Amino acid sequence: MKTWKYIVAIWMTVVISAGFLIQIPHIPILEETARNLFLHVPMWFTMMIAFAMAFYFSIRYLNSEAIEWDRKAETATLVGLMFGICGLLTGSLWARFTWGTWWTFAEPRMNLSALAMMIFVAYFILRSAFNDTEKRAKISAVYNIFGITTIPFLLYIIPRQLPSLHPGAEGNPAFSDMTAPELRLIFYPAVIGFIGLAVWIMDILNRYKTVQTQLDINRQT
Amino acid sequence: MTDYTQELQSSGVDTLTQSYGDQWGAMENIEEASAFVQLMASNDLIFVVLGVSLIIWFVLLFFLIRVDRKVAKLEKNMDSIDKKEDT
Repeated sequence: MKTWKYIVAIWMTVVISAGFLIQIPHIPILEETARNLFLHVPMWFTMMIAFAMAFYFSIRYLNSEAIEWDRKAETATLVGLMFGICGLLTGSLWARFTWGTWWTFAEPRMNLSALAMMIFVAYFILRSAFNDTEKRAKISAVYNIFGITTIPFLLYIIPRQLPSLHPGAEGNPAFSDMTAPELRLIFYPAVIGFIGLAVWIMDILNRYKTVQTQLDINRQT
Repeated sequence: MTDYTQELQSSGVDTLTQSYGDQWGAMENIEEASAFVQLMASNDLIFVVLGVSLIIWFVLLFFLIRVDRKVAKLEKNMDSIDKKEDT
């Protein structure tokens, strides 16, 4: 196992511990759930990075038509979707104890991020519809490029134009007046740690798929 | 009925009524517990949540490392098969 993976493992352990151990100022309504900032928000950051990677890989695939780019794009999309679903679930739980509801259709960021997740669930349904590897790779790359371009609009631009309960409707999505500056000390390392973890998971999945493809080729010959 | 429970309690082997009582006794006589237990019990029990989170994290991490190693082993096997076919 490569060294950077051990660094990610230790880094995340330190971040999780520090996230619980630091003294945070008393914030009304949020109380101790302010610590969720270290967990909930990095989910979305990691999802954005994973989708950005998938966007890049999809373009690379259309450029070169080498199947490995399709593999990488699929993996990055899958990991991004997983982190996005974690973000939705954690956000819903947090909302119950701060806004008072598990889900509200009055909250644009909540609903649009759910919509964004549907776009990527559809990506995997689309992939499963093809038996021909090349056709599948080409069409899903085009779909993914289209899908990922909707993300900034759904998660950043539209929610800021509408009235919202979610912090950051005024501009910055993660921080607002109610967020204490000390929280950033753990927040940024947590973002880095979760991105490292996502890249690690992608690495394992990609290697698994490579071996699988090799096996299939060997079997056919 | 009452006689029966009294009998059980006096016999001193009835652990059930004790363990399943509505009084949770973890914080009783906490001063006499070990330093570790006292630390865990401080600060409104936040360290217990930290412990639970770390246990989950370490189990997931262990799993991730194990899968990583397994894939590495598979890769190694594939390489040796390919080499055999080449020669």
